[in-house]
Amino acid sequence: MLADWTQQEVLTGTTIMAVEYNGGVVIGADSRTSSGTYVTNRTQDKLTPLTEYIYCCRSGSAADTQAIADHVRYYLDFSRISQGREPTVRYAAHVMQSILYNNRDNLSAAVIVAGWDEVNGGQVYCIPLGGLLVRQPMAAGGSGSTYIWGHLDAQFKPGMTDTECQEFVAKSVSLAIKRDGSSGGVCRLAVINRSGVQRRIIMHEDLPKSYDG
Amino acid sequence: HLSMANPMSYNGGCVMAMKGRNCVAIASDLRFGVQMQTISMEFDKVQQMGPRLFVGFPGLATDTQTVFQRMQFRKNLYELRENKSVRPQTLMNMISNLLYERRFGPYFVEPVVAGLDPISLEPYVATMDLIGCPMEPEDFVVSGTCTEQMFGMCETLWQPDMSPDELFECISQAMLNAFDRDAASGWGCHVYLIERDQVTVRALKARMD
Repeated sequence: MLADWTQQEVLTGTTIMAVEYNGGVVIGADSRTSSGTYVTNRTQDKLTPLTEYIYCCRSGSAADTQAIADHVRYYLDFSRISQGREPTVRYAAHVMQSILYNNRDNLSAAVIVAGWDEVNGGQVYCIPLGGLLVRQPMAAGGSGSTYIWGHLDAQFKPGMTDTECQEFVAKSVSLAIKRDGSSGGVCRLAVINRSGVQRRIIMHEDLPKSYDG
Repeated sequence: HLSMANPMSYNGGCVMAMKGRNCVAIASDLRFGVQMQTISMEFDKVQQMGPRLFVGFPGLATDTQTVFQRMQFRKNLYELRENKSVRPQTLMNMISNLLYERRFGPYFVEPVVAGLDPISLEPYVATMDLIGCPMEPEDFVVSGTCTEQMFGMCETLWQPDMSPDELFECISQAMLNAFDRDAASGWGCHVYLIERDQVTVRALKARMD
């Protein structure tokens, strides 16, 4: 007579998003992983480095996405050596896509690849379930994203500054955390640009406030 | 999305109650959701049934409301006929009876009763399963979607003979840290502290995730 949650896979229920700005990208995620309704980790880091300038935001099965990110990191390390330069965000996204698409029947993984490179600056590539690849100025994923699509469409403007983007991401993730049972914890943010990555955590009590009804 | 799945965790939520020295406390989270979506953060599962008597019905929200309404009806008739305030033990028995009437098509709630005897002011807590099997322990009761977490917190924090202030602190910490580990409970908490001459309700500042 085992507890319900011991029989269920660990999922990153999740809210993830990435936004391009002039000069780089801002990415954000919540920090909850759950097994059924039990919260297995409330401080999970879903923003995973693939290279120094390229990150991926993970949602879906925690095991699948961790294993795939490790594979992609390996391929990109190798390509840095063989090509003699930092891989482009587009290349990283395509490597990720080929793994997700070719194993689509056995995987439950949806990611957003975002970063900065010399050629095209800040870029966001969304790879939902099934392995479609599409570049977008703003992308959101995970179960929590469904609650904020209206908010994202209403509030996103192209050409925001770095600070405006961070506030936008923090507010959006905060709204999703409030409504989605599978998202919660803190909001992790990262800004990726020419100088590399700066990471931030926004604790739960410091998240932007909204109506509690 | 899933259809009904498990009715006991469809809406989420949790209630616990503890005994102290000449007092009892009962607490409920405030979440009302549909599977993973949170609809309201103002759904208190604890209601008052007498001057020093409170009940909580965590489980399927429609049954939370229906069982409470049907119990109100039966309690009111009891008090008219008997011409006295119902004792907590008796109310527990009446709830158990109501649930067992539906033995083969049950209400999906697992009630918690907490109160002071109207005459002796003896503290009382009880819980039962969804078909009315009662449990009247000497310390605390828990019910809802995070019972494992609540048991862990209560076993660690509860001691006998706590004063009202200590009891309030104990039940608050037990609730907050238990439902913070449950994706289907939380989003606020109300704590009711019942003493011989006053009942205090407090809203806890909780994580809204």
